[in-house]
Amino acid sequence: MAILPPEIVGFLKRVTSSRCVLGTVIASVLSAEVSEAEELLENYCYSCHDEWEQKGGLQLDELGQMPLESRLDVLNKVQEQLYLGQMPPKKKKKQPTEAERSKMLSWVAAELKKHNASTLEGKLRYPNYGNHVSHEKLFNGEIVAKPYTQARRWLVSPQIFIERINAVFGLEGGARQRSFYGVTIPVILPDHSGVRYYDTTTLDGGHLLMMLTNADWISEKQLREARIKNGEVKSNEFPNPKDRWSPRKTPEAFEFIVTKKSPPTEAEMKAAIHTQYQCVLQRDANKSELERHLKLLKESILLAGNTEGLRQMLVSVLLKSEFMYRYEFGAGEVDGAGRMKLSPREASYAIAYALCDRNPDADLLKAAKEGRLNTKEDYRREVSRMLNDESSFAGPGAPEVSGKGLNSHKVSHPKINRFFREFFGYPNMTKVFKDTKRSGGFYSNAGRGTAGTSGHVIDEADKIVDHILRKDQNVFEQLLTTDEYFVYHTRPNEQTAAIIDRWREAYDVLKSEPWQEEPEQVSLKHELLLKQNLGLKVPQQKKGKGRHDNTLVRLMGYFESTFGRGSTPYTNPPWAHGFRHQYSEIYNLAPIPGSRGGDTGQKGWDFQVEQPFKIQNRKGILTHPAWLLAHSQNTETDPVRRGKWIREKLLAGYVPDVPITVDAQIPEDHHRTLRERLDEVTSPQECWKCHVHMNPLGLTFEMFDDFGRFRTAEALEHPENLVKAGNGKSSASVYKTKPLSISGVLEGTGDSTLDGKVKDAYDLIDRLAKSRRVRQSIIRHAFRYFMGRNELLSDSQTLIDAEIAYANNSGSFKSVIISLLTSDSFIYRKETQSSQ
Amino acid sequence: MKSRRKFLKQSILGAGSMAMTPGLFAANPKGKAPKRFIFIHKGNGLLPNTLVPSTLKGVELEKEKRKEAFEVSLDDHELPEWMGALSEHKGEMTILQGLSGKMCTTGHHTWQSSLGAYKANERLSSIKWATVDFELAKLFPSSLEHIELACFPSGGGNSRGNINGIEKGFSARGPQQPNYAFGSPKVAIEELFKSVSGDRESKIQYQLERRLLEFAAMSEGAMAEELRGLEKAKVKNYSDSIESIRERNRKMDAMSDVIRKHAPRLDDKYFADDLNTVDRQIGHAEIALSTLISGMTNVVTLTADELGTIYTGVTDIEKESVNLHDVGHGKPVGKFEALEVREKVRRHHMSLIDRLVSRLKSVPEEGGTMFDNTMLLYFPDNGETHHSKGTEWPFIVMSGKNSQLDITGKYIRLPHYGKEGHKTLGNWYTSILNAYGNSIEHYGAIDTGLAHMNQKGAIESFLG
Repeated sequence: MAILPPEIVGFLKRVTSSRCVLGTVIASVLSAEVSEAEELLENYCYSCHDEWEQKGGLQLDELGQMPLESRLDVLNKVQEQLYLGQMPPKKKKKQPTEAERSKMLSWVAAELKKHNASTLEGKLRYPNYGNHVSHEKLFNGEIVAKPYTQARRWLVSPQIFIERINAVFGLEGGARQRSFYGVTIPVILPDHSGVRYYDTTTLDGGHLLMMLTNADWISEKQLREARIKNGEVKSNEFPNPKDRWSPRKTPEAFEFIVTKKSPPTEAEMKAAIHTQYQCVLQRDANKSELERHLKLLKESILLAGNTEGLRQMLVSVLLKSEFMYRYEFGAGEVDGAGRMKLSPREASYAIAYALCDRNPDADLLKAAKEGRLNTKEDYRREVSRMLNDESSFAGPGAPEVSGKGLNSHKVSHPKINRFFREFFGYPNMTKVFKDTKRSGGFYSNAGRGTAGTSGHVIDEADKIVDHILRKDQNVFEQLLTTDEYFVYHTRPNEQTAAIIDRWREAYDVLKSEPWQEEPEQVSLKHELLLKQNLGLKVPQQKKGKGRHDNTLVRLMGYFESTFGRGSTPYTNPPWAHGFRHQYSEIYNLAPIPGSRGGDTGQKGWDFQVEQPFKIQNRKGILTHPAWLLAHSQNTETDPVRRGKWIREKLLAGYVPDVPITVDAQIPEDHHRTLRERLDEVTSPQECWKCHVHMNPLGLTFEMFDDFGRFRTAEALEHPENLVKAGNGKSSASVYKTKPLSISGVLEGTGDSTLDGKVKDAYDLIDRLAKSRRVRQSIIRHAFRYFMGRNELLSDSQTLIDAEIAYANNSGSFKSVIISLLTSDSFIYRKETQSSQ
Repeated sequence: MKSRRKFLKQSILGAGSMAMTPGLFAANPKGKAPKRFIFIHKGNGLLPNTLVPSTLKGVELEKEKRKEAFEVSLDDHELPEWMGALSEHKGEMTILQGLSGKMCTTGHHTWQSSLGAYKANERLSSIKWATVDFELAKLFPSSLEHIELACFPSGGGNSRGNINGIEKGFSARGPQQPNYAFGSPKVAIEELFKSVSGDRESKIQYQLERRLLEFAAMSEGAMAEELRGLEKAKVKNYSDSIESIRERNRKMDAMSDVIRKHAPRLDDKYFADDLNTVDRQIGHAEIALSTLISGMTNVVTLTADELGTIYTGVTDIEKESVNLHDVGHGKPVGKFEALEVREKVRRHHMSLIDRLVSRLKSVPEEGGTMFDNTMLLYFPDNGETHHSKGTEWPFIVMSGKNSQLDITGKYIRLPHYGKEGHKTLGNWYTSILNAYGNSIEHYGAIDTGLAHMNQKGAIESFLG
């Protein structure tokens, strides 16, 4: 019999005696006495869920007669609804007190525990349940429990996986690869905005299938050099001509066996096994592992010879689940709270993966080996060292946008920047398909070999994030409110300035010359200037000039349309090969002259040499086209999703999933704005109860269209409303418009000076940036990112410390990271029921 | 040392999905004969006007010219001359015109688009879900689930380095999971039929793999036994999956007599590395037949060619190495105009289909033949032409008498793109899936250009 709190026993007894409500369930756990808890059911549940009425198809007073499986299913639903505070419905005036709710919860939990059938605990581990932990309790200091993380296996991330392959081949520095021809990354992270990499994923059949192929390819590459030495293959012989990469060296112990003309000795085989363990798992095989692998190796060699037999062993180690998991179990003494610190080895991995995805560097390994990774100060020392190292962990900030005509910018700690990329979710812009014609031709979709316009715009958003992270002051507020942006920033400012200076000097000299009529003579006359300032050779070849080459006439024409009209030219002229900078309109900036069809004679965008620079009508990442497009639909904006994002990510709030019975569609009507149509469809009470948490926030962003452009009226795109047809390549169709309504309501900051009506997105953003709850919410998400899990109430102290660190260090995100990575939540592990 | 042996588990056995539960391979239902599906796709577009029966006249011809909806019985018409190889099977044939596929990547190269009905490209992240052939394979499980054979492209956007190897194919097992396809009959036979191989090296490999899996299953299984709760699941799913592969291997071993009986017996020329394209296709067709007839799989997908496939062995121009891309741009080959070369290529495809259909008709099954339970689809991987837009996506369908779709023996033209009642590749695949037991509301991405229409659901008239 389960051990139940007295009040629950009382409740159960009363239930059985009076109404036989829960029948056998209860009879199995108690015998006498009446509890107040039955009154809870009577008072709060039966009115909707009894034999007279079964709302949602649920009848609670027949629970006892149900088969066990159904009963547990119902109890799980009850538990979830009670825990999330969704039942009784909020519209019911009569609500249980917290103590009453807690009593019911205890009973349901105990009953489920009896059958080991509770699903709530599992669900609460997932990202979409993160905000269900009471925000107030997390930050009000009432929780005194010692923070810890459950001892765990944590599946590697895609980035860590690739770095582990690099480690198998012993590749370091510039030799490291970002991908391997024959390796498919078996781990996929979800693509929602917010933290994605959690410790909840388990290895399964899909992973295994991919690992079988991966292990085969890796083992072949590991042995290739030795096989060349042994004459089995020629150095220029490749089974697949496109797959020519291989590591330069086969580890000595393997090479010895491959090249040996007789079967290896047991000692030689053991050395090979240890070597593969070191390559793959960075440790020696233990005694039983050694014995088992030795047996396999012997048999395989007997069957297939040295090389192939050895390869089987290599594969067998690569297939160990340990290769796919990070181990964090803790070691050493158990403290009074049942916790153990990470072992120094585990700590070295935890710190390394938290900051750079790679296996621990030499300093971390040394510290672990020398017993200098035990105290908070040890952690602080190593974390600070790594954070202050600008070069060792540098890499592309946005590798996925690199492609034709675009290479992601480099950042010092891609892993840290990635937090804000995932948090804001703006890289999802790539996944939204837009009709190019509707943009008037400036927008190109992601396609083969390119992430299209989205790649450039995402990269520009990344640059803002990196710029703010480098300054490391008031990071959250800056991200939300900055008015400084990067557009077409393809070179460092000083390089750009030097080019513009040279161009301007040349233009000033040449503009009075007959460069158009007599380019050859002008070229000869100003040979040195052309060479030094414009990079042109004199004499210019008359023929054979490609369409992408610079010529005096082209450059001077370009200068006339820029310098000549009082603006600065962009340093990549529009005829340059692979020119893709046609999208400045997405920021409401005029196009570069000549970049959108021929030169229209208009003054183009005055290119900004000094970047970042101020752009009108923008405020922070939430008004950056990348964020707006990532949170838009194909042909319309998406106020609901934008509102949901703000509610969940900035206000630590919660919006239930769309009920499966709801077909969430906004009706078509080309006489009304999106807001009008959305208001109509979400105004019924059953819809509004959820939409009230989203629409009043998201609708403020209606001041931007679905391409992310600032607007003052909404175009009613429909053939009937056509004012002027565009050609879709250099002009868009113009439609009748309707005035916009962009006001909204902010509620949920917990600060009466901030909550209330807002007049537009800027007003909303300004208030959010001042909100302490917003700051705390971002810290909660940072916690999830670095811990790989949702916060528990017991993590309260960690979160409070992180907020203090932020506040005391002028809004430094580095300080938040140091605080989190030296917290008990990071350092301590505890074995719970599900973590052995 | 042979390359990529372990691939066997992933490609030919692999219907694993990321969300898969420990039972890696679905159980093979007993009793009733399963339905089989053969998908054959080609590159360079399939010109819709070439599929029109030559005897079409009057109102129908006018409708055809205006691309308006109509249907006629093929009994009353002559097939286009190049389809001659299928004339005996006219009663089991459907020519389906008027579908669109603008939700796919179109143009030169399309990756998984034509089978998945979404815009796929070289990035794995573009693979949104399992392609339709894999969805059907789930409905009719078999030991190998699905087999993909390909005449890989050696040039162009999605070229393969090794056209004889085992490489990422044109089908997808699930989101971001490309399938792997066999590039040559030789590698396919080595991998698929090695359990019954008489070759010593193959036998050794077979044994090595068995031992390795046994080893992995034991080590991971033992670890899982010591764990509880979530941590147990984190290892047990994995070890159970290894065990599933072993179980599948045991089933394959148990089938070895049948497999041996139906193993393809091909001439040596099909094992050559410099196989011409036409022979490669014939070899692939024979392997497809063997695997279907032996019951190793119920779904086969064949890439007859892709734009980057350098074509060799085409009748009348056997000595030429035909660049399909050039043909797409209208370049003649030898004395033949581009359209004539296209026709020669299609003509050979028809002979492949005849080979498949005729053979399946010769295999008795439940009082009829195996073809009664088979559906074969022939279609372009990119739509209507070389630089396609996806406004049309013609299909030739061969289906036996137990077909669940009411389309057989007809030339069907559906309403043209954008017109009322227009249907997309998504509607077509939804129809097939619905008809065969997957009740999905809609399979395939939505065409944003058709936002004003209801694009979802099956083509009702096909469901009988």
